[in-house]
Amino acid sequence: MKESDIDGILQSAPVPEGPRSETLQSIAAAIRGSLRPVRPLPAPWLLTAGLVFVSATIALAAAAHAGFDGIEKMAPWERALIFIPLGAFAVVAAKTFVRTMIPGSRRRLSAGALLALCTLSLLGAFALSFRDYQIDHFVSAGFACLVTGLLHAFPAGLLAWFLLRRGFAVNAIAAGLAAGTLAGLVGLGVLELHCVNFQAAHVLVWHTAVVPLSGALGATCAAVGQWIRRLATR
Amino acid sequence: MGGLSDGVRAGEDSRTIHRMQPDEDIERLMARYQQGDFAAASALIDRVSPQLFRFFAAQTFSRPDADDLLQETWLRIHKVRHTWRPGEPALPWFYAIARHIRVDHYRKSLRTATGERKLEAMAASSPLAPQPADQADQIAALLAPLSAGEREVLEMLKIAGMSLEEVAGATSSSVGSVKQKVHRAYKKLRRTLSLAQKGGRL
Repeated sequence: MKESDIDGILQSAPVPEGPRSETLQSIAAAIRGSLRPVRPLPAPWLLTAGLVFVSATIALAAAAHAGFDGIEKMAPWERALIFIPLGAFAVVAAKTFVRTMIPGSRRRLSAGALLALCTLSLLGAFALSFRDYQIDHFVSAGFACLVTGLLHAFPAGLLAWFLLRRGFAVNAIAAGLAAGTLAGLVGLGVLELHCVNFQAAHVLVWHTAVVPLSGALGATCAAVGQWIRRLATR
Repeated sequence: MGGLSDGVRAGEDSRTIHRMQPDEDIERLMARYQQGDFAAASALIDRVSPQLFRFFAAQTFSRPDADDLLQETWLRIHKVRHTWRPGEPALPWFYAIARHIRVDHYRKSLRTATGERKLEAMAASSPLAPQPADQADQIAALLAPLSAGEREVLEMLKIAGMSLEEVAGATSSSVGSVKQKVHRAYKKLRRTLSLAQKGGRL
């Protein structure tokens, strides 16, 4: 049996009756009272640019406050190897987040795949850049960096959500994951700009962990929000 | 498959599938709906509702459920109508919202009926097991052996007349993933229909 035969069967098969006319009338009546002009969302590229701008501003402002010690200590090739992918992933994460907030948008990369790609690529970049294999104050110094990164990711995530508050996520968890990933990249950016601890283990474990943890927190917040909304509508 | 083949043969006096006209009209109506034009909103409801109703009815739900879901979908569409951008295809936008409502309804009904443990078990085995809304719905019978995802994609592609890109948009997936689902769906349908033919039932 050919595909065209199957298409023929699908297209010639009878269909059930459509919705009752009373249903359609009641829908029309229900929306009539609140029908007023609305302003469509801005173009996706504009929303993406807004997210990237906000993210870069938070990272630079935080580093300006704490000091650009980390980037100053890096060699030019290390700066390129770290900040070019970091910036590129921030743009991709912003695009992905915008897509999750506009129903019917085509998705080239799922939020989960984005998080995995960011984490693995940045691990690779860090492994190439940092060759100091000493381990001093691994947990205490690392935990401080992790908290700093997450603390800067938090306002970035909030602002990103605020910027796209008029959007509608058909998959709230994917949207939360994308927003969390973007926020995590901001947190990681702050650490790379400021932190002068170039021990490979420190950067690979504690700096990189900011991205997946922030992504997970974003997805968790979205799931909790969804659960609360469901409880409220019960 | 007996019901299907009988229905296909006897389907001449039934209504045949009304594919959507090119989306221009829907998009023009949608733009006017965003501007607060009630006539456009009503026309849009008349125009798109049969497609959305079929989407609900053929997938899983009974006719009253499909009616409820249609109403719920329109209320949500109304609430988030600003998220559609003029110039973009409207059908994937409608289907994306309808799909969200359907998944939400499915989760709610499962939770109510069987609790969280059964949700996981059923999702692993056969999500959205088909229960055709109406015995007369031959497409639902034909698509019954397919998984929920395959059924949904085939419905949009072959019945609603959407393009691969539009289906990818409506299902928040990539074109490659849609193609893969369609390929699997055809494979299953070919097997099912061949068996039916061998049995002399089609």
